[in-house]
Parts: sequence; C-alpha cells; structure tokens
Amino acid sequence: MPIGVYICHCGLNIAGVLDIEKLSSYAEKLPDVVIARDIPFTCSDLGQEQIQKDIDEYKLDRVVVAACSPRLHEPTFRRAIAKAGLNPYMLEMANIREQCSWVHMEQPAMATQKAQDLIRMAVAKAALLKPLESETMPVSQEVLVIGGGVTGIQASLDLADAGFHIYLVERRPTIGGFMALLTDVFPTNDCSICVLAPKMSDVFNHPEITLITYAEILSIDGSVGNFTVTGIKKARYVDEKFCRGCINDCASVCPVEVPSEYDFGIGKRKAIYVPYPQAVPLVACVDTKSCIGCARCVEACSADAVKFEQEPQDFKFTVGAIIVATGWQAFDAARKEEYGFGRYKDVITTLQLERLLNSAGPTKGDVVRPSTGQIPQSIAFLQCVGSRDAAIGNIYCSRICCMATLKNAQLVKEKYPDTDITVYYLDIRAGGEGYEEYYIRAQKLGINFVHARISRIEEVKGNLYMNYEDPDTGRFKRVSYDLAVLSIGLEPDQGAEVIGNILGLARRSDRFFEIAHPKMRPVEAHIDGVFIAGCASGPKEIQTSIAQGGAAAAKAIKLLQKGEINLEPTGAYVNQDYCTQCKLCVDVCPKRAIILKSPAYVDEAACNGCGSCAAACPMDAIGMRLYSDEQIMAEVKAATEEKSEFPLIVAFLCNWCSYGAADLAGVSRIQYPTNSRNIRVMCSGRVDPIFIMEALRYGADGVLIAGCRLGECHYVKGNYQALQRINVLKGVMEKVGINSNRIKIVWCAASESEKFAKELKEFVEELKLIGPIGTEIRADKKRVLAP
Amino acid sequence: MRLAYYPGCVSKSSGREMDISTKAVCSALGITLEELEDWNCCGATHVSNELTAVGLAVRNISQTDLPIMTSCSICYSNLRSALQRMDDPNIKSRVNDILGKEHEGAKIRHALDVILEVLQKKNSDFLVVSLKDLKVAPYYGCLMTRPKGVDSPEFPTIMEKLIKILNATPMEFRLKTFCCGGPIFMPQQEVAEDLAFMILSEAKNTEAEIIVTLCPLCHFMLDAKQKTLEIKRGDNIGLPVLYITQLVGIALGLGPMELGLELNSVSPFDIVERIYERHTKG
Repeated sequence: MPIGVYICHCGLNIAGVLDIEKLSSYAEKLPDVVIARDIPFTCSDLGQEQIQKDIDEYKLDRVVVAACSPRLHEPTFRRAIAKAGLNPYMLEMANIREQCSWVHMEQPAMATQKAQDLIRMAVAKAALLKPLESETMPVSQEVLVIGGGVTGIQASLDLADAGFHIYLVERRPTIGGFMALLTDVFPTNDCSICVLAPKMSDVFNHPEITLITYAEILSIDGSVGNFTVTGIKKARYVDEKFCRGCINDCASVCPVEVPSEYDFGIGKRKAIYVPYPQAVPLVACVDTKSCIGCARCVEACSADAVKFEQEPQDFKFTVGAIIVATGWQAFDAARKEEYGFGRYKDVITTLQLERLLNSAGPTKGDVVRPSTGQIPQSIAFLQCVGSRDAAIGNIYCSRICCMATLKNAQLVKEKYPDTDITVYYLDIRAGGEGYEEYYIRAQKLGINFVHARISRIEEVKGNLYMNYEDPDTGRFKRVSYDLAVLSIGLEPDQGAEVIGNILGLARRSDRFFEIAHPKMRPVEAHIDGVFIAGCASGPKEIQTSIAQGGAAAAKAIKLLQKGEINLEPTGAYVNQDYCTQCKLCVDVCPKRAIILKSPAYVDEAACNGCGSCAAACPMDAIGMRLYSDEQIMAEVKAATEEKSEFPLIVAFLCNWCSYGAADLAGVSRIQYPTNSRNIRVMCSGRVDPIFIMEALRYGADGVLIAGCRLGECHYVKGNYQALQRINVLKGVMEKVGINSNRIKIVWCAASESEKFAKELKEFVEELKLIGPIGTEIRADKKRVLAP
Repeated sequence: MRLAYYPGCVSKSSGREMDISTKAVCSALGITLEELEDWNCCGATHVSNELTAVGLAVRNISQTDLPIMTSCSICYSNLRSALQRMDDPNIKSRVNDILGKEHEGAKIRHALDVILEVLQKKNSDFLVVSLKDLKVAPYYGCLMTRPKGVDSPEFPTIMEKLIKILNATPMEFRLKTFCCGGPIFMPQQEVAEDLAFMILSEAKNTEAEIIVTLCPLCHFMLDAKQKTLEIKRGDNIGLPVLYITQLVGIALGLGPMELGLELNSVSPFDIVERIYERHTKG
C-alpha cells in the first residue's frame, strides 16, 4: 500500500516554526511511505496537481496531508485525490498548523517533534483506511404535517404549492387551532379568524393536501426519506360526504347541552355540534362522551348524514419528511389555587376573555361578569399565571401573555371607555417589531400598570379583592375589582407526548420539544427528516409560528426536492455474528437508527456516525466505517511509539466543539504546552474505555477527553455517555492501583479556545506531580515488598 | 391501629389539652399510641440551621419502625421537611454521621388525618353526640399543609371533611390559611396582634360558634391572647378555640375533663352545654 505524505509550508505559517526538512525526511522513512514531499501551499492548484501526479506516478493508494485543520481543507483534498482516481476516503490529514505550529511558536524544536508524532499517527491511520462509497436513496415526495393550527396550515400550504403532496393530520374535528378562537390579534388588531379562515379553506381545497381531521397517529416507522405512518380516523358519526354543515337541523333537536371546549367552558354546545361556523371541514361531529343516543338528530337531518353505525377508519401512508406542529395547551389556572379560578365565577382566563370579546362568542362580544351578567366597572389583569413560577414547575416566560393582555385591555377600553383597567405585572415584556409602541399606546389609553406580586384573590360578599405586595415599597395592598383576568401561560400539549415518544424527540427541561440547535437550527429535530415548528418547541406568537411553519416547509423541500438523498458512508454497522441483542446500542443511539431485529440492525439513512454505539457495545459487535476501532487504536499506538516528552498526553477531541476549540486556539495564537497528541473523533461518546486503557498501557502519562459542553452535544447525549463511562473507568483504575487523575474529561464549546488551552496546561502540571505512568504501581509494589 | 406518638414540647407545657385530648380520642377510636421513649425537639427551635433541624427531627424518627403521629402542626411540618431534606444525599450522609446510624424513612401522620381515616371507615360506630347545627370555623394556619403533599397549601379542605363527618357545619372561612401572627409575635407584636384580631373578627363575621385549630401556636394567638385583644381593641369576640381533637372528643362522647376543656383560656363550657342541649332535643 504505497502512501504519499505531503507536508505543507503554508507560507511561513508552518515553515516559520517547524523544521520542514526534518519532517519530510522523517516521513520518508515511515512504513509504506513511498514519497514524502514538502509543498509551499498544498491547497493551491499547484499543490493539488503535484499530489495527483504522484498518485499516477507512484501508484499511491492513500494520501497523508500534513497541513492545516481537516475541518478546513479535508473536503478540498478529498476532491483532489478523487480527481486522480482514488476513493475520496483514502485521505488522512495531520493538523500541524492550528494544533501545532500556531500554538507552539516559542518552542520550534518541541513543536517539530510533536509534528513528527502527528504525521506518524496519520500515516498509521492511513494504512487502515478503506474505500467507502456514497450511496443515494430515493425519497418519498410526500410530507406528513402533524397538527392543523396556524403553523401546520402554513407549512402544508407552502409545501403543497411547491408541488409536494401533504397529509395534514389533526386530532380535533376542525383545523385552525387556537388562532381560530381568538378575537382580534396583536400588533395590528385585525380579526383573527378573518385572516385565518381563507388559509383554512385553501387547505381544504388544495389538490395536493389530504386533510385528515379527528384522527390520531398510531405509529411511525422508518427513517428520513421513507417514514411509514399509520393512524386512525375516529368516527364522528356524521358522514363527511353528506353533511352540509348547516348545523341547525341536528343541533337544534339535540337535548344534551355541555360546556363548549371551543369557548373554554364559558359557552355551551350540543352533543352533536360544529365547533364554530368557520370550521374546516364544515362537518358536524357527535361527542360520544355526552351523547345519550336518542337519535333525534338522525331523524332531523334532511341530508341523512348522521350515521350512528359509522366505524373508525385506519390509514397508512409513506412520507419523506415529517413536520411536527403539535402546538400548546393552556396552563390550568385552577392549579394556582390562591387565585380562586374555578371557585370564584368572576375570575376568568385570557382565553375566556378572548371568547367574551369575540363577536362570534357566547356573549356576541359583550364583556360581562359571569356572576351577574353585568358589564364590569373595573377589571384586573394578572400576568405570569403559570409562567415564571418555580412553585408550579414552569420557570420559563410564556412570551405572548404580556402582548395578549395589552391587546385585550385595549379592546376592552375601546369598547367600554369608563371601565377601570389595571394590569398587575412582574415585568412587561414587549419585545418585537412595534410591540413597545403598542405598550405605550395602551398606557396612553389610560390603562393602569402596577408592579406587583399578587398573593391571593378573595371573594367577599360578591366582590373580588386583589391582595398584593408592592415589591418597590414592600407594602401590602388590597383592592376590589368586578372581574379578574388570569393571563395564563402556555404549556406543551400533553397529547403531543405520544408523538414525541413515537418519533423519539428530545425534550427540554421546560418539556417542550428540543430543536437540533437552540440558535442555528431552529426548526430541525435531532432526528433527520423531522422538523419542529411553532409552539411545539416553545411559546411563540402567531407571526413567528407562521415563519417557522414556512421555514420547516423550506427545509423539507430542500431535503426532498432532488427525489433522492445521499447517504454518508461513515455510519455504523453490526457484525451480526457477535451481537447478543443486549440493546445497549439501541438505548444510546440519539438518532434511533438502530433497530433491534435479530440481531441489531443499523438504518444507515438515519445514522450520523457519532459512534457512541460502538463504544457502548460490550461485544465489539458494532463497527464504524470511518473512525474505526482499528484506525483509532493505530493512532494511539503511533502516538506513544516514540515517547519524546513527559508528560505525554493522548487527547481525544470531539469534532464539533473541542476539536473546533483547539483549532480556534491556533487561529487566536493561544500558546500552550506541546504535550498533547490529539486524536479527532466525531463525538466524545465515541471514546471506548479500551482506547484509554491501551493508551496508558502503551506509555501515555495521561489521557484527555474533550467534548461539547453538557447539554450541547451535537448528538444530544453523547458527552453524558462519555462522562458516565469515564466515571466507571476511573473507579476501576483506582481499584487496580492506577491514579485515576491520569484521565481528565473536559467540556469546551467551539468558542472556548482559552478554556481548552487552560485545561491542557493544568493537566500537564497535574501529571508532572503524579509522575510518569507506572510510578504509583512501582511505589505500591515497594510498599508491599518492604518488610 | 398501632402508631408511634410524638407529643412535641407544647404537649407537656402550655398546650397540655392538645396532648390530653389526642390520647383520649385515640383511645376511644381504638388506636394504640406508643409514645417515643426518648423524644426531643422536632427541630422547630433550630430552623435557621438546616443540619441541626434535620438532625433533631431524624433522631426522633429513627426511634421507631411504626408510622409516627403527632397532633402539633409545627412538629408535623418539621418532621416531614426533615424526611424530604434527607433525599439530598449530602444532607443524608452528614445527618447519618452525626447520629451514628443509618436512617430509613418512616411515615409521618397528623392526628387530623389519622382520625379522619378511622371515622371515614366507620363513623356510626363511634359518634355518640351529634354536633348538628354547630357552626365551626376551620382554621388551618400555615404549617399543616407545608411542605406540599398533604392537602392544597392554598385552599385545603381536609378539616371541613372531618367537621362534616361529625355532623357539624364548616363555615366558609376565607382567612383559614392566613398567618396567625405567632411567628412574628416577638419582634413585631403590633403586627402579630393585628393579624390575630383580623382572623378572630372574620371568624365572628362568618357566624361561627367556635374556631378549630391544628397548631398550638395558632391556638395560643387565638385563644390565650383573645382576652387581651378584646381589651386592647375594645371589641367583644368571645369565640372558644378548640383543638380539632377536642371537638372530635365531644362528638365521641368524652367528658370535658377527659378532653382538658378546662385548660382553654376562652371557656368552651357554654358551647358544650349548647351542644348537649341540641343533642338531647334531637
């Protein structure tokens, strides 16, 4: 296997510190190396052409480039060798710039020594590289959208207009979500249903959208490009084909009246009902919980649409991508017992006020005290009910309640100018375009704003009393109001938990679905081909939800439009002879790419190649196509082959954060000791304890494992898995008499180059105190042998 | 039913009627109480030092394997908080070190909840005197329902349940969880008296004939201080304040002396007379 080694000068960036001649004559003598050259700028066309010429001339079948970080030019050199006919994966890079010449500028001799080691490691790994072939896989051109609120509606319409076929699945009998029930909405105060209803009917009429309402999803199998979805469409006992949505005939004869969930309990509906006049589809539905089966509706319906014999229907289809838009549910105000919701009639929630203000609501737009039916003379709004409250377990801000209250207070004030309105708040958060102006407008209308902590609401002889502490003066106050409106927060929809479990979505501590990156990937889930939009990933106002619905649609289009996706050939595979079906791999996989058939099987479309499964497998039955056990062990062995300094540290750096931090230390010219020999892995979770033990056995004085900060892992939980394994390993080491401080695990974000350098410096000092590897065992033996 | 009994310091001093009535009621209900042999402070006197407070409480708890009953809300709250704090491995190991033994969690119960359980099962067997038409203001104070997990801390109803079983009428008492003023009586006597007087007046407004309490500190503020407050404020309250065990005892047919009713500051004898009268009339 002829290997070519190319050592880059990078102008003076490398050559100014390292002794290039020495490196090149050293590389020439390494096993399998047939040609070693130094090139002023290897990444230039001239450099690339030289490599291509050598591949041809020396029949090279693998190439080592000692230059800058592979995070910069690995794709460049892979393309270059592919042009010359080599498999692109037959390339290995030694990072002698960011992680050597730039960080050891004051120690050229030691740095050159380190570079020699790095090149030796790269050559050792290169000898074990295997050609890998990218494959493509055809993908479905259909998309599942879960949830028919404004987010799901927007995503469906955008995708359908782009030519994809959509299955929009909604649990309720109508789409429209919360937005369809609101009165005017901020910051423009336009009528909510007036702007939403056209979109709802567009969904209904779009030839590319299959709308499935009153349905539940039961299972989702498969992976990106080919998810198989099954579910059930519940019986509404009304034939969608025949129902004309007239509602009068059937509902008017129905003898059962129950509180309407579409009026949040303040209005009533019948057991057979249409949620609201703009419902889509405009089809009645029988609520089996309250229906007494009298069948008067069956007789009354002139279209013969009411069918008590209707059965639930199963559905099944395949989609290439999934958009989760499961939305939110309102905080249950009765949980804040001190505010008396549920005990006192005149304590209502924001959502109930929305219905009272709504001209299509139960009072046709009149705001009244539920206890008397009279217009209230004074109204108190209480902010942060169920938000920013550790006592009830929601420490997050629900983000929209301040604006909703500002809006409702304005609507009430405009309608009833004499009503005294006071907003009791902790902070008013009006961040957004035009929002602060909106707040000022509310103040100008004469709405009072009082900074307060409300301790309780009491009802005494039909009057509500607000008891509160003024936090600015510490004084306790008590004021009477006719109506209190609790500004309830948003919680993740409980029903969405099922969807989360089916898909294996991660949740944040606030229980909303976690997106792939809190900033950079706002609508992607951790699972490839799954997108999260709207309030499913946290409280959002309407405009942001619409933006996210559109963004998720765009991401799905990008994924599916070519009709096929490339599969990275860098994933895991199972050696079936060794698998004992212990399922450890299934549990650690962040992508749910491992399926326990018999034996385990890796879905390569879903695998991202983090390698935590390979580290977890007790039988070594899981291998990685790139960063294989053999390749990493070869690097470890090569790193320790010539022990050129003390202490010698073998460092495993995760590709995304710590390797990035080490690169940034180079770019920032942060100087640190030359003692570490860095090995790049995709995730700290890839580090098998055996790598560490072998490194120490071969003579490393210490092993550093560096991963992303906890909670920020690129593969969700890989660093936690690394931490757990290392804690166990440390215990074992102490038992056999090796100082467990020879292993150090650190977390640095890609930006924390200072921290990386500092941790490494400290580790070098710690190891100097501990002494060369084996010191403690020899000391122990002496003690045992001493008389 | 066999339970360990933790009396608490008040039971042996200013609140003997609580201890007397608790023992009498439990005996009448067939509950065997085994008083902890070497009990000490529940920790309430050292709440500012977490380790001492938990250590004191756990020293009591680790003396028995039986569920421990107390009729003092302060003790009840402290013993329960201690058990919750012992979930923290750090506190647990330090407390175990100090006490020199491994503690296992025991169940802590309040007399109220024990009595309710027994009476809910078979009340007709035990109830001798009907409390029909007796209007009772249930006053919880703060500690019965804290830490969380017994009844709602903000709007508890457990005492109303028991009062109804006794055939009496619980009044809707909006200040039932307000502070009695006891905890700030030393540094802020005026404020404490304001609070206690507010509670007494409000109880009177509900037309209750008696107030029922669960905590010796509340009882002190509402009962022992009542006369002084009446004089200071120039207002007549005249509301007897009974421990819940005393009220239950009357319904069980126990005599006033068996319940220590003579130890209450505001004499409840008039109201007891009235109860007996109503009972005989049917």
